[in-house]
Amino acid sequence: MSCPKTQLLLKEYFSDELSLIAKNEIEAHVSSCEFCNAEFSELLETRKTLEGWQHQRVPHWDRGEELFRRENGNTNRVFSFWDKLQWLPTGASAVMLILFLLNTELSSSQDGYNISFGSTDVSVVYLENELSAFEESQRANLKQAIQQIEAREDSNNVELLRAALYQNQQDTAANLERIYALFDQQRVRDLEDMRAGYQQLMDSDYETLRSLRQLAQIVSYQEQGL
Amino acid sequence: VIDEDEALVGAALNGSARAWEKLVRRYEDKIYNQGLRLTGNNSDAMDLMQEVFLGVYRNLHRFRGDAKFSSWIFRIAHNKAIDINRRKRFMTTSSGRSGDQGEDDLLDKIPGRSSLEAEEILSDYQTNKIIVSMLSELPISQRLIVELKIFQSQTFDDIASIQGVSVNTVKTRFYSALKKLKIISEEKNVLP
Repeated sequence: MSCPKTQLLLKEYFSDELSLIAKNEIEAHVSSCEFCNAEFSELLETRKTLEGWQHQRVPHWDRGEELFRRENGNTNRVFSFWDKLQWLPTGASAVMLILFLLNTELSSSQDGYNISFGSTDVSVVYLENELSAFEESQRANLKQAIQQIEAREDSNNVELLRAALYQNQQDTAANLERIYALFDQQRVRDLEDMRAGYQQLMDSDYETLRSLRQLAQIVSYQEQGL
Repeated sequence: VIDEDEALVGAALNGSARAWEKLVRRYEDKIYNQGLRLTGNNSDAMDLMQEVFLGVYRNLHRFRGDAKFSSWIFRIAHNKAIDINRRKRFMTTSSGRSGDQGEDDLLDKIPGRSSLEAEEILSDYQTNKIIVSMLSELPISQRLIVELKIFQSQTFDDIASIQGVSVNTVKTRFYSALKKLKIISEEKNVLP
């Protein structure tokens, strides 16, 4: 089963010249006719699928520029300001590379500026000399540094020794004073003892003399008695 | 008011390579996508695009500005698509679809492309892959009408003028094309 109007109506529906009245009529029929409605929905669905096309970017290509230039000649080519500058960075890089490769040296002296290309002794030997000189200077620096460290160490040691000695000296002096005081005390005590001894001796001598005197008196007495 | 296309055409005719490049850039994506839909693969699409711009270049002096440049370039693309399909038809053996057409137009004698070739298209664009494989089942005349109507938003009058047939024929072909695409779509959904 089908509707005889389906093809005719739907064919017209996609026409751009379709008037609003005609469009409304078609839609009215389509909404009431089962067959037309089914067909219409499916066609719309198909159109929707097609309209889902994802825009793709064209892969890189020449754009026929070569052909255009060849046939038109390059003389007519209009350069814009930026066209002229577009090679500037590349050109500058190239110039710097050449200057580097030629070992260009710019030096200023009293005579003015001097540019030299490819220094005569720039070679392995020159580089080695430079390196050995650098090594020498580094060695010297290291040596000097070690010496400085050693000197500092020595001065520190002397200071320490001096401090120790001073401390020691201080101690010694105190000790000597103490010993001296002790000795002095001892001396005083000895003197005292000595004086006491002398006194005692003198006392005993005196006793002896007195005894002798008594003895002499006794003797003289006895002689007189005789 | 001179539009930008016309200004660029004028400058290109005076030998400005920059104007030519700008003109190409404005249309290359559109023509390339058109080529993808009509030929179904990238290499033919690129061929088509290059031939279109070569045709534009060769005929630039004939562009008078009485029609829009976009219409003019799409007409060239339309004709180139037919040329490419015709060439393919003679280069390859017929795939046995010659009895498929009921129209009296010569275009309908050109068979559709194998859907296998549609596989060549970039797989990043899954929807495009489906559309291309659907379109590849249509004869070139119907494919061109779908292209002009759906993707180029041309009127049936314009399409009739481009294809040299009556407006009624164009409407019938468009309706038939949509119906056929619907069936193809259903088949593809049933048969993965």
